[in-house]
Amino acid sequence: MTQTAAAMTAEHLSKTYIRRTRGRGILGLTGREAVQVKALQDVSFRMEAGEIVGLIGPNGAGKSTMVKLLTGILTPTGGSCTVDGLIPWKDRRAHVRRLGTVFGQRTQLWWDVPIRDSYALLRDIYALREDRWRRRLGELTDALDLGELLDAPLRQLSLGQRMRAELCGSLLHEPAWLFLDEPTIGLDAVSKLKLRDVLREENRTRGTGILLTTHDMDDMLALCRRVMVLGHGRLLYDGGLQELLQRYDREHTLRCVFSGTPRFGSLPQGVALRQEEGAWLLTFLPGQIPVREVLQLVLAAGELREMTLREMNVDRMIAGMYAEMSL
Amino acid sequence: MRYIFHAVRMNLRAAAQYRASFLMQSVAQLVMTGCDLIALLVLIDRFRHMGRWEGTEVMFFFGAMQIAFALTECFGRGLTTFSSVIRKGNFDTLLLRPRPLLLQLSLNACDPRRVGTVAVGAAALIVSSLRLGLVWTPGRLLLLALSIAGTVCTMAALFLLEAAFCFFSVQSVELINMLTYGGRQVCQYPADIYPAPLQLLFTWVAPIVLCLHYPVSWLVGKPMADFSPFLLWLCPVAGPAFFALMTLAWRAGVRRYRGTGS
Repeated sequence: MTQTAAAMTAEHLSKTYIRRTRGRGILGLTGREAVQVKALQDVSFRMEAGEIVGLIGPNGAGKSTMVKLLTGILTPTGGSCTVDGLIPWKDRRAHVRRLGTVFGQRTQLWWDVPIRDSYALLRDIYALREDRWRRRLGELTDALDLGELLDAPLRQLSLGQRMRAELCGSLLHEPAWLFLDEPTIGLDAVSKLKLRDVLREENRTRGTGILLTTHDMDDMLALCRRVMVLGHGRLLYDGGLQELLQRYDREHTLRCVFSGTPRFGSLPQGVALRQEEGAWLLTFLPGQIPVREVLQLVLAAGELREMTLREMNVDRMIAGMYAEMSL
Repeated sequence: MRYIFHAVRMNLRAAAQYRASFLMQSVAQLVMTGCDLIALLVLIDRFRHMGRWEGTEVMFFFGAMQIAFALTECFGRGLTTFSSVIRKGNFDTLLLRPRPLLLQLSLNACDPRRVGTVAVGAAALIVSSLRLGLVWTPGRLLLLALSIAGTVCTMAALFLLEAAFCFFSVQSVELINMLTYGGRQVCQYPADIYPAPLQLLFTWVAPIVLCLHYPVSWLVGKPMADFSPFLLWLCPVAGPAFFALMTLAWRAGVRRYRGTGS
């Protein structure tokens, strides 16, 4: 099979670990059992160059395993994957040459030297041409506001600064594909926005394909049109983010404060009521019951002093979606 | 090539970040090797002989072994600290860079200061050579260089085996430390002063004696008892062959890692 078009593909990609349980006896060597852990099962997809795709799923759903397979760190136990025609685990060096990675909890720069020196070493690791590297470093330090930090060693940087430094390091060699694992975790609002801007720009001007693992729904909404949802090692959903949000209807919450105690009659199907800090919360699904009806219910209950409609809680929606999808 | 120089320079710079510790380490390394030498001198002064060997001859073995070990530590230190690379999950980072794994690993911890301890070994070698009145022809010099190179290969191979073990069990490296650091201590002195099992271990299992002691004993003019010219040809080959063998273990380890990711 020759796949020359610039794309990342997976066909029936699977990864099964064999984990040995600790057995009995002093050394724990007797009675050990081999347990198969199906980290990823039969995952197929195609991602075109220049796409930004969000990869979501609860912890332990197989996200890291999938990323490790696609970056060539792991070898699959079944199926296949290719990135621009290369097989990640077979053509490791040629493959990673075109890859940028930022793994949130793990640094890829050198701890004790100024980050400028790290970038210089990366230049030699990726065998970049001096002038090109210089220009690129200038671009990225401007975009990521790193100018002042270049002479500081990594260990002295704050989390947000470090993340920006990591991203700069991963983009120096102009990768065709960028893998990001929780890039905005623990960042303040400004750093998050900056990071997203740079990613969008990189994608727009260079056509960098970005696969983004995150729990941050705002990242998703800001960057991705397409998402893949993993659960229990299976690909549960692959499609538009908006469609996904619509499918898992947004739950609305109406927060009402009454003077006096309100009297709600019998609640119609699909409306739930609870009390919280002197206010009454009505939750309902707009698709299930017309907003007009809920409002009438509230107005009839008593003398209304204030009322706010709470935005849907996306995280709760995702949690609900996980619960429903992967049971 | 540029990558190699750059990486080494960077290690120095990183170490220099902690100035006091940098100086102390540099001094400590020289002192440690120096102490070994002094201990040897005291022994020689007191006892004159070690088995059938004159003190000056022993010093020649000592010098050759010190040079070999210093060079090995310089390039192979990254391998001895490999268990922490695995534990911290930094092996993934190596896999994500477009350079050979062993090269990256070696350069990560390559510390050229260690070459300083080569000087101690070289001093011992030169002094004993002068006192023994050895005559050096290009061929003999080449043999010495080859036997030291072969020993470096052998020691590096042991380091590599130790690193490969880390893929399977992070704790079980002590066994191999017995061969690496034990080997360093044992092989400072001519092997035939030791009991047979120890000799056999370091001749045919971890062939330091084969690489170093047979040719050196011949150079000093007192060949080992079971010496034969055939062995002289085997010496330069044994080290690289042993290293090649151990890269198989390393590869098996890498394969396992990429199979399980842990």
